[in-house]
Amino acid sequence: MTPSPEGRPEETDMELIDRWKAGDSRAATRLVGRHAQALARFAASAGERDGIEELVQDTFVRAFASLDSFRGASTLRTWLFTIERRLMLDRRRAERRTRETVPVQEADHVSEYGALDSLIAEEAQERVRKSLDALSPTQREVFTLRVQQGLSYKEIAEVVGSTEGAARVHYHNAIQTVKEFLRDE
Amino acid sequence: MNKCTDSDIQELLPDLLHGALDEAEKGRVEAHVATCESCQEDLDVLRTVKSAAVFAPSIDVDGVVRQIPPYRAIVPAVEAPARTRVASWLVAATLALFLVGGGSVLMTRQNSSGTSVKAPAVDRGARLAITQPSAPSRVPVATPNPKTSEPAASSHPHALALAAEADGLSDRGLVQLMNDMDTFDALPGSEPDPVISVDSGDSL
Repeated sequence: MTPSPEGRPEETDMELIDRWKAGDSRAATRLVGRHAQALARFAASAGERDGIEELVQDTFVRAFASLDSFRGASTLRTWLFTIERRLMLDRRRAERRTRETVPVQEADHVSEYGALDSLIAEEAQERVRKSLDALSPTQREVFTLRVQQGLSYKEIAEVVGSTEGAARVHYHNAIQTVKEFLRDE
Repeated sequence: MNKCTDSDIQELLPDLLHGALDEAEKGRVEAHVATCESCQEDLDVLRTVKSAAVFAPSIDVDGVVRQIPPYRAIVPAVEAPARTRVASWLVAATLALFLVGGGSVLMTRQNSSGTSVKAPAVDRGARLAITQPSAPSRVPVATPNPKTSEPAASSHPHALALAAEADGLSDRGLVQLMNDMDTFDALPGSEPDPVISVDSGDSL
């Protein structure tokens, strides 16, 4: 148990889950507060542009609805990343179908985001985002989970549905690409 | 700059960044990085990527929590047999439905095939009789078979009359009969057609 800033030992995710099951809604607030931003960052790093809040919300709704199936074999965060990733894949499939039928909307969407992004993002963020865009989707997922979220290769393999060895290879290739991109900038 | 060949250390650099190494490992990695330019550059890149995390909106935690449904425990295993009984009734009812439905379909098909399959058999026999007049015994309708001729006869008024009269026909009469049959309508008319009278050999 990790000590909280106030000195009290901080409850583990499993303890909070048990409290929520016992009817304590504050436990849900603690769990969501603990993991929501990490999920939002992962979604943004993975290339999501719109509806990140909605995506995070859907992830928690699904996770809480099936918490009985979470046995604690992995960390709760890893499990949440897995759920979120599946939702992102579903979304992309649906968007691909929409894009095939209504191409104009996609063009509008991109230009809208570009303008907003350049206003909000710092120069360093922009450079990093561009370098991540140079990666394949799987490389980007592995790299951001490893570098920004600090997950182990075993956890990453679980999230992306791959093996530890494959995750290591993806990470190695990704850092070479990002390094070259940032060096050339 | 020489490329680092210690892949073990390279893979641990993100853990160093996140403070996830124990003291011994941390000391080993830091000692390596101090002398390895390639790993120093990797670490700089990782720091940049980590600190410049891609913009993500801040999440309204209370809004998310409001959407979470209250906890509902999984139904206890004690109730499982009751559900199994219901399920078995459902399966039995579905099977019965399929059997009744399937039987009806089969009967309908049998009835319809009695007309459509046996009528062309007569026609084929007629053609055979025309091309091989010296072998009357091979014409199928010349040897009456109650099993085959009855449904065909009952399905069309012409066939009814033909079945009654085909017994005493000569080869020529039979050929004439078959020729006449070729002129029949494929579908029965709304009113019954007049019965064709076939005299043995006289009409040819």
